[in-house]
Amino acid sequence: MHEISIANGILSRAVDAANEHGADRIDALTIEIGRATHVNPEQVVFCLEAIADSTPAAEATIRTETIQPRAECDCGWEGTPESLDLPGGFAPNIRCPDCGQRADLVRGRECRLASIEVPDASPEDKPPARRADEVRGSPS
Amino acid sequence: MAGLHDDHGARVGLPDLRERLLGPLRAHRFGHGEFEATGGSDAEADVLAAIRERAGEVHERLVHENEVFAVEFVGSTGGGKTKLIEELLERAPADERVGAVVGDVAGEDDATRLREYGIPVENINTGKECHLDPDGVDSALSAFDLEALDTLYVENVGNMVCPADFPLGTSLRVLVVSTTEGGDVVGKHPLLVQAADAAVVNKIDLAEAVGTDLDRVRGDIHEVAPEIPVFETNAKAGTGVDDLAAFLMARRENYTGHTHQ
Ligand SMILES: [Zn+2]
Repeated sequence: MHEISIANGILSRAVDAANEHGADRIDALTIEIGRATHVNPEQVVFCLEAIADSTPAAEATIRTETIQPRAECDCGWEGTPESLDLPGGFAPNIRCPDCGQRADLVRGRECRLASIEVPDASPEDKPPARRADEVRGSPS
Repeated sequence: MAGLHDDHGARVGLPDLRERLLGPLRAHRFGHGEFEATGGSDAEADVLAAIRERAGEVHERLVHENEVFAVEFVGSTGGGKTKLIEELLERAPADERVGAVVGDVAGEDDATRLREYGIPVENINTGKECHLDPDGVDSALSAFDLEALDTLYVENVGNMVCPADFPLGTSLRVLVVSTTEGGDVVGKHPLLVQAADAAVVNKIDLAEAVGTDLDRVRGDIHEVAPEIPVFETNAKAGTGVDDLAAFLMARRENYTGHTHQ
């Protein structure tokens, strides 16, 4: 049960982003959860709702999206790995279909805050509205 | 609770209502750096990438700054992780300076066993958490004189699920499964098998008695995690441990002065 610490990480990132926008309320947030992880989406939502009380995200709608794995091989192959049919649930087949070597997963192991929605800034007390695309979460 | 969510986990109904009452929204989308290719900047929005980044820092401290060869053992409770470490300690060259970090939800039993070997051992009680994390390992490292260590064994909490998402920054992760966990143990925990650098199938002496097909276990490991070496041991009698010890020794030599990226 590590969803509570994951939820904590997501929440603090969401609150930081809202602060950057001068928003005191988060209306919605979307979390992308890789399929090749043991993060349980329902438990993350449950934990987030539990810890969001008295934060700007207290009333936020929480959405989760499943991210399918993607793999790359040294031989140049790149694609969506097949699923191995196993009793323990989903796992990608990471053997490269072209050369048989082990490929690396480049997607499917994430648990990331993909977006937040905050109220529209009122014109008098906010800088000119920035389009969503211009505001990046990543410093790079 | 479940009734309020649609297939994607979103609450149904409320967003439309909120939009009508509160007006339009601004959306902030987080940048999508290509996973790990951007040197970890995804950690800003990705909590699992942030943990991998922390593990990378532990790795830097242990392996690069202090040249410690660190080996994590992960697997179920009762699978024989502590016994395997004991057997490796029995085989350690006299001049090898070894330390151990042991994770347990509660108690000191495994740490006490390893202290019998006269090595420094740091116990981490994780409380409610079901796995070690890089932060816990990092703070445990403060108890050691890292410059005076050659090898550090890290025994994770007995758990076949959660550690898959939580690398610790060691040089190698060794998965320990035992025949008493059943012939389908690999298929039941594929993501942890994929997160390991080597696998040990322990208690091979009991395979027949418990009806576990060793060929199947071996084949499953090969299918789920191509290319990882598999060792078959009976740690209690010391059978097969020499091969594992030799493998670790060879990897340790490779590790001296290795570089990443
Ligand atoms: Zn290939």
